[in-house]
Amino acid sequence: MIAFREVVRKNSLLLTKSNSYLFNSLGYVAPNAAFIGQDYKIQVRFGSTKHWNPKWKPFRRLKVIKVDLPDFNEAAESKNYSPDEVRAKMKERGMSPPRPWMERPFEISSTSDIFEPYVPPEGDGKASYISKEGAKQSAEMVSKKSKTWLAFRKIRNFDEDFEGKHFAAEAQKIYLNVHKAVSEKDKNTLRVLVTEKAYPEVTLNMRSRTIVWNFLDTIEEPRVVHARCTDVIQKENVFAQITCRFFTKQSLAIYDRFGRLAHGSEVVAKDVLEYVVFEKHLANQYGEWRVHGKIIPEWAPTNFETSYRTFRMSN
Amino acid sequence: MYSMILRRFPGIGSGSLFQQSRQVLSAGGPVVAAPFRSISTTGMVALPYEKRLGPKGWPRYNSVVFPPQSLDEKRRPAYVCHMKTNIKYSPWKMWYVASFIRGMSVDEAILQLSFVNKKGAGFVKQTLLEAQELAVQDHNVEFRSNLWVAESFCTKGVVVKGIRRHARKRVGLVEYFHCHYFVRLEEGVPPKHFYTPQPDGPTLLQRWINDRRSQRVYGSF
Repeated sequence: MIAFREVVRKNSLLLTKSNSYLFNSLGYVAPNAAFIGQDYKIQVRFGSTKHWNPKWKPFRRLKVIKVDLPDFNEAAESKNYSPDEVRAKMKERGMSPPRPWMERPFEISSTSDIFEPYVPPEGDGKASYISKEGAKQSAEMVSKKSKTWLAFRKIRNFDEDFEGKHFAAEAQKIYLNVHKAVSEKDKNTLRVLVTEKAYPEVTLNMRSRTIVWNFLDTIEEPRVVHARCTDVIQKENVFAQITCRFFTKQSLAIYDRFGRLAHGSEVVAKDVLEYVVFEKHLANQYGEWRVHGKIIPEWAPTNFETSYRTFRMSN
Repeated sequence: MYSMILRRFPGIGSGSLFQQSRQVLSAGGPVVAAPFRSISTTGMVALPYEKRLGPKGWPRYNSVVFPPQSLDEKRRPAYVCHMKTNIKYSPWKMWYVASFIRGMSVDEAILQLSFVNKKGAGFVKQTLLEAQELAVQDHNVEFRSNLWVAESFCTKGVVVKGIRRHARKRVGLVEYFHCHYFVRLEEGVPPKHFYTPQPDGPTLLQRWINDRRSQRVYGSF
């Protein structure tokens, strides 16, 4: 935007009403010696169209009624507001805080943890029964079972038909059904087979991927390894947790969201040694044995073959 | 295009602020602790006192699960859809920025946007960086540079109306525009030409020759 203005030349300097024009203008005219000392008008180009008297500017600004625009991306920026900041923001907007009697959700049909977890012996599943090592292990297991027997007795108070020997086979059926439901993404069946504590742990890894799982064979018969009974809040509200040991042959292939193999193989079978915890709410007449969790020992292998992840090395 | 089998998935992750405001007033979270991860799900997260505004359909494409591929099929490229809603910028101005990066590789787009002299460029760059993060963390993309901008577009968002005075008790409307910006990053090498390129000399010449050859003079001998 170029404007033409008449400029009054006084003496030898190019003077305008505002002196800044001397430096901002595009058309600075050098003083001509012949015109020194005389007044005359010349046309000069200027790059800026700013008015020489900005007295109307604030009036023009006041014409637009100011609107406080809400920041729609405030929440999305996920700033961790302190409780006081949250209160202040809500107060600003004139919103009353949520009602103070917000109930804290809690589960009454399952516990939130595995009580007195079983510690699997190191080297389990590596030595056969025939070897010295294997025989010693099985002997140790039988002698340490005092608490487990007490737990069984307590379970028999509520459930007369309960037998420790037969439980393992029943437990394996539940265990296999859980895996089948996970591979089929059958959440309705899973609800019944798995406790409330274990449900999110199981379903989180089901999302956005396809799981192809096959049960092939039992290497060693499933057996009960550990049992405990606990009471929650009241003495009569008894929960029983039984840990079973499964040594089976399974094949697992996990495909990512786009159908590309991310882990495992459909063809290769693997020996799987697992310690699964089953829980039952004994005080509840409709309580069922459900999968509550898994015991992952410290000596379990952690080098799983998954799809590659590439990282940038820091300099 | 590939067939999209849309499934209804619940929104992943709740806003950190929403959880915090609950914690302020209640004695801690639920007993059965669910493993949550705070993902930057723009547009789906709202403060406790705010109604969820804006589009919800675009991030649903991230929940689509494709069936396992057979061995002879070509490896399906991963993609991630991301958006930023209600950016305080005009959608008509944002169109220039959105069109600019189409078909570029992610690194190229981010680099170029750093030097685009527009307010919208900052928001688009932020969205691209977030989308890149999501792709690597959630969508099994191995290399964060091996992505290109497959789709990039913007739409009109919330319009807040204000007024201004005119002379002689007349009133004028002032509209404060917001826009939504959507981007889809796809895994792989970008195509050589996303936009149809300017034809080169030989092509233009051939076209001219073809035109002349197909010319007919009617009424001639």
